[in-house]
Amino acid sequence: MKGSIMNRDRFLTNIRTKIGGLTASQPVEKPVWTVSPQKKVLKDYTPDQLVEVLEEQCQHIHTDFFRTSSNSLEKTLDEVLNHYGAKSVIYSNDERFVSYQLNPYFESSLSTGREIYRWNEKDKETSISFAEKADVGLTFSDMTLAESGTIVLFNKKGQGRSVSLLPRDYIAIVPKSTIVPRMTQATSYVQEMVDNGEDIASCINFITGPSNSADIEMKLVVGVHGPIRAAYIIVDDK
Amino acid sequence: MPMHIGEKDFRKRVSKGISDDYMRGAVRSAQERLQNRRAAAAEELGDWEEWRTLGQQIRSHTIEHLDYYLHQLSDKVAELGGHVFFAETGEEANEYIKQVIQKKNAKKIAKSKSMVTEEISMNAALEEIGCEVIETDLGEYILQIDDHDPPSHIVAPALHKNKEQIRDVFKERLNYKKTEHPEELALFAREKLREEFLAADVGITGCNFAVAESGSFALVTNEGNARMVTALPNTQITVMGMERIVPGWEELDIVVSLLTRAAVGQKLTSYITALTGPKQAEEADGPEEFHLVIVDNGRSKILGTEFQEALHCIRCAACINVCPVYRHVGGHAYGSIYPGPIGAVLSPLLSDYDEYKELPYASSLCGACTEVCPVKIPLHEQLIMHRRKIVEDEKKSTLAERVAMRGFEQIVHSANLYRTATKMAPFLTTPFAKNNRITKGPGPLRNWTDIRDLPQPANERFRDWFKKRNKQGGAI
Amino acid sequence: MRVSFFITCLGDIFYANAGKSAVELLERLGCEVDFPPTQTCCGQPAYNSGYHKETLEVAKHMVEVFEHADYVVGISGSCVYMIHEYVHLFEDGSNWQKRAKALKRKTYELTQFIVDVLGIEDVGASYHGTATYHTSCHMTRLLGVKEAPFRLLENVKGLRLIDLPNRNDCCGFGGTFSVKMASISEQMVDEKVQHIEETEADLLLGADGSCLMNIGGRITRQGKPIEVKHIAEILNSRGEE
Ligand code: SF4
Repeated sequence: MKGSIMNRDRFLTNIRTKIGGLTASQPVEKPVWTVSPQKKVLKDYTPDQLVEVLEEQCQHIHTDFFRTSSNSLEKTLDEVLNHYGAKSVIYSNDERFVSYQLNPYFESSLSTGREIYRWNEKDKETSISFAEKADVGLTFSDMTLAESGTIVLFNKKGQGRSVSLLPRDYIAIVPKSTIVPRMTQATSYVQEMVDNGEDIASCINFITGPSNSADIEMKLVVGVHGPIRAAYIIVDDK
Repeated sequence: MPMHIGEKDFRKRVSKGISDDYMRGAVRSAQERLQNRRAAAAEELGDWEEWRTLGQQIRSHTIEHLDYYLHQLSDKVAELGGHVFFAETGEEANEYIKQVIQKKNAKKIAKSKSMVTEEISMNAALEEIGCEVIETDLGEYILQIDDHDPPSHIVAPALHKNKEQIRDVFKERLNYKKTEHPEELALFAREKLREEFLAADVGITGCNFAVAESGSFALVTNEGNARMVTALPNTQITVMGMERIVPGWEELDIVVSLLTRAAVGQKLTSYITALTGPKQAEEADGPEEFHLVIVDNGRSKILGTEFQEALHCIRCAACINVCPVYRHVGGHAYGSIYPGPIGAVLSPLLSDYDEYKELPYASSLCGACTEVCPVKIPLHEQLIMHRRKIVEDEKKSTLAERVAMRGFEQIVHSANLYRTATKMAPFLTTPFAKNNRITKGPGPLRNWTDIRDLPQPANERFRDWFKKRNKQGGAI
Repeated sequence: MRVSFFITCLGDIFYANAGKSAVELLERLGCEVDFPPTQTCCGQPAYNSGYHKETLEVAKHMVEVFEHADYVVGISGSCVYMIHEYVHLFEDGSNWQKRAKALKRKTYELTQFIVDVLGIEDVGASYHGTATYHTSCHMTRLLGVKEAPFRLLENVKGLRLIDLPNRNDCCGFGGTFSVKMASISEQMVDEKVQHIEETEADLLLGADGSCLMNIGGRITRQGKPIEVKHIAEILNSRGEE
């Protein structure tokens, strides 16, 4: 359903007269910017070099870094969850948990006393209240930015916003092929969708490590409203 | 004026700032950290100047075509099912927000950091209709708890407080029992605010950047409160200053990269959240209803003037973090929620010279601000333009100064008069000199000699020496 | 090389020694120096205070004074920058603006001229002492002369140069700011003096008379045993101290 627009004409006419702008019907051509430094960052890096950059950056953003093969993913994940003392885990409703064969692991976890819940987009209340109390939120990364150490999540459908936000700790599984140099590649991807008239996710999150604040004496405190700890598990592609 | 904070009289505010040792200590160390982090982040890129050039190009193109991009943005948002309200004044914006809230019968509002809502005093307007507005940014929360102490910095609003003061505020108001360690203070706030997020009916956010082509909004935070505010409540209201917009996602990349580096020296902050419309049918979290309020509140007065570049500002506070004047007087001395160099430029524009006539003069024009601004706003030149306007258009300078400057021009313009005046200098000042120094100057020199000595003008001026020497035939 | 010397008003009245040293130095480096006696103040005090009509008159006068010079060399980065700024005072495309542009192209600050135009980094000076150097804001940030003074000072025999902590901070002069906002200016200059003291140097150098007058005035007021000199005086030294 289309929303309403109020007071626009008066408001924009005022602006137009002040800047001597064009009439509203004439589209503005975006100029070609004379420089593009963003495209040079980590240019021509191989996937392995990007992993190295990411690993290094994780140290700056207080994020635990793990690397594993797709066969050992289950084992690594189990270790990290134990390390974090995770008694309850919520994970997103993402096909990749199936393709990486983590489902049997989740099912068997029950017997070890670890509570596991899959985000259910049809049941907001249960999903949010579980996430809110969970020790760990677990998602796959949709795109990963090496330069800044950032997990990009296109939050829609089963990739709920709260999974990576409300639990005490956050773990992202990062398939190696999702790693790109920097934000530029992610924004170009979105721009392309916009240009093609495709819908983009209602919420795109760029997550860089745990939540933090420097509001008290500019001293970094990790874990304010979002997760207190964060870990990335880099995994070779399936 | 809602933008205005503190004592009316500028001089009183300045002396209060200068004599507040706690605040000055806190500001000094904060500035040092932030400056170093920004410099390191810029250096690491290697081609920071190129980034700045790009930032400047993007901002100036966008503002030159602001009408077009706002039109496109509003179309997009409406297409996605959001409602857009254009507010020429703060009152209009507040009225609309009140209506939305009343229609929802909402009582509890969770708010993430936003300067424009400070500017229009939105909280007070909502409290009037019986709402409880909770600031969820840690810095803002501290200030709110402390009887609405005004912010002193646009990125770190509680920068003027040290941790002991914050502990005491928590202790007094919230029955806090632990120590002044930032970790403990933050954890305490986390627990308090969690409950509020879950109970809030409406979430209100500011907007770092809107993206016209897709109708999106980017919120740049470290704490995650903006994510909470946009994930949990059923209704979301985003309030943006009309200039906070870029054309597309490629431009968003640049301004965000500049912002996080210039503001806190981070490659990206912990969370950049880009929201596009209300939540979709197959989503559990996110708002069902989305409202965008676009605020002018004096900004359009700046368009088309010599100050247009001030609207390029991306609110990174880099200029504030390097400003020596800010360091010594603190944010509150500016009397505006926008302090520092950008505040000195912007406050008189958004309000007027009667309220902020001193601010353009509260600068030594050292240019440190201009040097760091990530979008190359010539801040110190804008301050000179303000001074010109105050003198030549508004005719608000003092008579004494006008007479002095008129005299200055005549003396300087006429080489003869100038020569006479410089020749007179030693004779006029001799009675005041001791050991070749003047320690108590007459008349206008008083303000100088209250603080420092003035050298006694030499009896032989340079020009006398040069002339004599030439007569004697070249080098001595 | 013919150089027209620009003394600046403060230089003329208070810092004649700096001017003399600069002239002798330039001559030693092979320049022929003249001094157009009708030159005045550059107009910066009026300009920065917002009196642009008045400044315009001064600018016209100075453009005429130096019209026939090959090079104009001044001993204050700030005043030299003001001359560069004239271009923006005149109407775009006007004849006056063209003349101001021509003046801008040939006007240099002393150390900038020696390093960039003469291509000399060692002027053969020697001076025994420990000094620290104050980088003036306008000279470094606006005129863009960052390295030249250091290049030259590093080559002065016998001189030990100590880095000034927070050297990019303004000294608090700022023209009329120093009297209009005296209480803020005081805090700034105090901080500067404190940093100078931390270096334990016995000599403060600078390339801008206005900053030196400000800092130096505060130093003597506080009775600190630190000498203040213009960089030209050291570059012209031949080991007499
Ligand atoms: S004026 Fe420039 S430096 Fe200052 S806050 Fe705005 S963008 Fe940042």
